[in-house]
Amino acid sequence: MRLSRGFVRGEALSCIYHGWRYAQEGNCLRIPAHPGLTPPDTIRVAMQPVEDGDGIIWISAGEPAAGPPRFDGLAPLRSMMAETDIAALEAAAGTKSAAGLLDYTHNAQTVQLLLAPEGQARTLMHVLADEDSNPTQRIAASRAAEALRRAAEHIRAAGSPNDP
Amino acid sequence: MTRNAMIDEWYPVGLASQLDVHGRKTALMGEPIVVRRGEDGNAKVTGGNEHALPACIRYGHVWSSLGDPQKPLFAIPEADQPGRRLVDVGVVRVRCSPLRAVENFLDIAHFPFVHTDILGSEPHTEVQNYKVEIREDEDEVWATQVKFYQPQAAKSAEGGITTEYMYRVPAPTCSILYKTCPPRPGEWDVITLFVQPLAEDLCNVWPWMALFDDETPMTDLIHFQQTIFVQDRSILENQIPRLLPLDPGMEIPTRADLTSVAYRRWLKRHGYTYGAQLVAQ
Amino acid sequence: MKLYDYVLSPSCYKVRLMAALAGVKLSIRPVDFHPGAEHRGPELMTLNPAGSIPIIEDGDLVLTESSAMLVYLAATAAPQWLGNDTAMHAARVQQWISFSHRLTASLGAARLHEMLLRPGNIDVLQGQGTAALRELEAGLVEQSIRGQRFLALDRPTVADIACFPYVALAPDGGVSLDPYPAIRLWSRAIRAIEGFIEMPGIHRLHELKPEPVPEVGEA
Repeated sequence: MRLSRGFVRGEALSCIYHGWRYAQEGNCLRIPAHPGLTPPDTIRVAMQPVEDGDGIIWISAGEPAAGPPRFDGLAPLRSMMAETDIAALEAAAGTKSAAGLLDYTHNAQTVQLLLAPEGQARTLMHVLADEDSNPTQRIAASRAAEALRRAAEHIRAAGSPNDP
Repeated sequence: MTRNAMIDEWYPVGLASQLDVHGRKTALMGEPIVVRRGEDGNAKVTGGNEHALPACIRYGHVWSSLGDPQKPLFAIPEADQPGRRLVDVGVVRVRCSPLRAVENFLDIAHFPFVHTDILGSEPHTEVQNYKVEIREDEDEVWATQVKFYQPQAAKSAEGGITTEYMYRVPAPTCSILYKTCPPRPGEWDVITLFVQPLAEDLCNVWPWMALFDDETPMTDLIHFQQTIFVQDRSILENQIPRLLPLDPGMEIPTRADLTSVAYRRWLKRHGYTYGAQLVAQ
Repeated sequence: MKLYDYVLSPSCYKVRLMAALAGVKLSIRPVDFHPGAEHRGPELMTLNPAGSIPIIEDGDLVLTESSAMLVYLAATAAPQWLGNDTAMHAARVQQWISFSHRLTASLGAARLHEMLLRPGNIDVLQGQGTAALRELEAGLVEQSIRGQRFLALDRPTVADIACFPYVALAPDGGVSLDPYPAIRLWSRAIRAIEGFIEMPGIHRLHELKPEPVPEVGEA
């Protein structure tokens, strides 16, 4: 059972199924079915290094040499899933990612995207906007990201009927 | 050990009350079948090429097999006891291994978290030691002297009680629960899960009950049991790995898991591996 | 006020939830929707020829549309849930109530197909459900940019209750909620409302209850 379905109480994460409770270091603190038992140290979940960089959560496989990239002047707006690959997103944007970010302008609103592939055919789009933007601009940025996704998924589905 | 060991077992394929002459299409282990009422009123089940399959009606359900069952369907004597309400709960399809559906039914440690304020609640989470055996004569898995505190054990219960349970596995995809019967101390309420394997990761679950309860309307009894099962369904559809592991590996059983450990051992011994995975494939 | 109810029906749950949040006591009359198809039987077809549930009976008033029931419960006992303090707010509420019917038709039908074996084209239903969830996600993102945590306002309204159940149960129909962080946050906000009640498949937030102190020797 995925722990992402679980619940957090204090600084511990519990599994939704039997309530097994895990500490931030990954060791199991408590097994509710056996409240008097100190769980053996072998019961633990795998951990990965994590960093919170200005509202963007980064994880790495293994120990990274340096910290995650910083994007000065930008603030996170939203995360979305595209049912297509990075190549289609770049084709729709008419440009390639530079310094980790893909720039896209729609209806005079520019938005920056941090792209992370999920498998072969899906991409996580983390949308960043100018940190000084007002709500109207941020809404426009969100809609720009939606427009990019629509265009990129249309490229991916090229040949199939356009579904409005 | 082949997957064919489960071919010769009986499986539920429909409700007896919904038998009709036109027939309903369903499947067993990937094979399409048709279930209908014959001219003599009995259930008739046919597989591919109109080939007749074994069929019987028992416990409110139609049962069939893709192979040649060597024994009649297991007995539940309580089903014939006068005064019992027999409840057809209705089918629920689940995208999970049929073996996982049974194993979840045998587990009580999840009650306070999945059936909160009904079958269990925090802080009453402890699972005390109980007795598990594989009864060699009947060739069935049994768990007895299981006890758990329940806020609302049954529709007929008034307030929280410590319920006593027995679990029985008479067939690879069937499980029977005997639990404390509030209106008739000394008798057991019988609640069953009959699981129809459609594919290794897809099944139709047919819960059925034989209860002593003269007060509660039938629809309420049905809804209570559907509530419990559908609360389990989202857990079942998210278990990893999809197929039930029969070899010890990553999972760490505790004393609360004795019944499922015995169930997996019994499955492996018999070669009941449809819906299971072995390390050495 | 009598509710003809099926415990597994998300539309009936909308009414049960709104009643719980508004403090209205309902008299529940369970309907054997599955496996008994009682909603299509003579008694209920006479009351509601559409053959659907929920149905509300309150004196002479019979309601057969869940959206109308939500509005009736709110108007009767908790008018702040109507969200009609301004024309714009009232319009937003109505927009999302109308939208909620697409959720029933797509996610709801997908769930009936996957769980209760009802007929349907599952690929089409899941596709329509995904499209609707994406629109909901975008709407909630924009609301949060405006500093509002719910669909029409910064407080919950009947629009949220109309949309919540079929969204929360999307996984029952094979449509995952993993791609929609704003929807998940909104779902948590609804489940944290005082008086929230569950239905099978929609679990309460265990984090709202503190970790129990271990007790020695308890049964």
